[in-house]
Amino acid sequence: MTTANKAVLLAGDSPLHAELHQILTANGYRVISLAEAAAEPEAIILALEVNNLDLDAKKEQLSEIDRLLAPSVPIVTTSLAVTATEAASWTRHPQRVCGFGTLVPLAERQLIEVALALQTAASAIEATQAFFHSLGKEVEIVEDEVGLVFPRILALIINEAAFALMEKTATPQDIDIAMKKGTNYPFGPLEWADRIGLDEIYAISRGLQRDLAEERYRTAPLLRKLVLAKRFGVRSGQGFYSYGQKGGGEV
Amino acid sequence: MGAGIALVCARKGHSVLLMDANQAVLEKALNYLRSVLTKDVEKGKISEQQKSDTLERVRLVSEMEKLADSDMVIEAVPERLELKKSIFGDLSRICGSDALLLTNTSSISITEIAGGLPHPERILGFHFFNPAPVMPLVEVIRGKKSSEENVQAAYRFAEELGKVPVLVTDTPGFIVNRIARPYYNEALRILGDNVARVEQIDRIMKQAGGFKMGPFELQDMIGIDINFATTQSVYNDFFQEGRFKPSRIQQRMVQAGSLGRKTGDGFYDYSK
Repeated sequence: MTTANKAVLLAGDSPLHAELHQILTANGYRVISLAEAAAEPEAIILALEVNNLDLDAKKEQLSEIDRLLAPSVPIVTTSLAVTATEAASWTRHPQRVCGFGTLVPLAERQLIEVALALQTAASAIEATQAFFHSLGKEVEIVEDEVGLVFPRILALIINEAAFALMEKTATPQDIDIAMKKGTNYPFGPLEWADRIGLDEIYAISRGLQRDLAEERYRTAPLLRKLVLAKRFGVRSGQGFYSYGQKGGGEV
Repeated sequence: MGAGIALVCARKGHSVLLMDANQAVLEKALNYLRSVLTKDVEKGKISEQQKSDTLERVRLVSEMEKLADSDMVIEAVPERLELKKSIFGDLSRICGSDALLLTNTSSISITEIAGGLPHPERILGFHFFNPAPVMPLVEVIRGKKSSEENVQAAYRFAEELGKVPVLVTDTPGFIVNRIARPYYNEALRILGDNVARVEQIDRIMKQAGGFKMGPFELQDMIGIDINFATTQSVYNDFFQEGRFKPSRIQQRMVQAGSLGRKTGDGFYDYSK
């Protein structure tokens, strides 16, 4: 699709917000916030909603977007902490809702996963795919489950690393070194979490536990507490490591 | 793995007694050392002289008594507790009380191997990753009774070997085999719940996640039986903690003898 002068509504407080704003602008889209949308709803060709930690806010903003935009405009929502099907159920026009999931930094993501709600119509799927292609990303369509594939698997790896750290099995540095040098991970799980945002990882872990209700998805208490203390990682100056001073200290 | 570890040590100038009760195994190990070092010469990495010096540092022995004067012993027998316990019983009797006794294990408790033996303070885990001459990591595992002094000595030894050591307490799967479990297990769960297909999951983990290999091609390479055994061992040693619950998909593949590349079929077909 040609992107010139096309407006995209971007709402939500995920760390994805800032990067999506950047990549949208770089690809010629005009980015409109939820507050601005009421003034020119007819200019908006697609809405992106990216709340993950605060599900009340997600529900509220999705309903508002749904009220503002004509039923033909697709709403693409992160399905990291809830299924796309549940997010769609919060709207009056669920057939235009499509889920997606990725993690920052977007520059490292050649491919973005899209999840179809049970309600999603074919036209919304096509529009969502074309939209991500216009941002230079490949698309893989998967079935609808919390966290999709990559965010779900990585959140579990990070959660396990947080358990190991909490139990003092090894230092955070040694945990990260071990996963890079012993099994070729691109990043250590703890430093990776600090880059992505612990709030995002916690939202996925909590969402899996909420929806699938198994001990398998129990969030490591250390991860939950760090998020409650607003130690989100690099962007807040502290996470599993401390930033700002030289190098990075331990929690 | 013993031959690979012997090569790592001999390359760094240590004299090595390579011990196995079976002469054929020793011959095979020596052939392996020769072939690797010959390739090193061909590639110009070492001289002919260095090759013969390295080979001379390795002596083949078939009785454990020959290890009596060693400062350090690295055991790398198959992962069976009773076998390891009996070997460490013998080593404790044969070796000096200050010799460092290291076990190369990915899944057996160091504390359990050392339990009941004299001088458990010198028994530690020293976990290389396959292939030992290539992979840089060594997990130095502190058993319940390992002394700090010996832990530090093992750590320095790993550094001298040119490896990257990490320190870990004696817990199931140590660091790598524990934290890597969800990479396989959750991929299997996602497959079982029909969220995505094998090829899709592998593609997503590489192109969205930046991993070098997808979880299914990696299982096929490692051997699905090996991967399943590691998961079962971590699961059982954590007293059936739900986070590590093994996958029935994997179990059925093991039962069917579809073990990955080595049998020609696994999650992918290698017969063509």
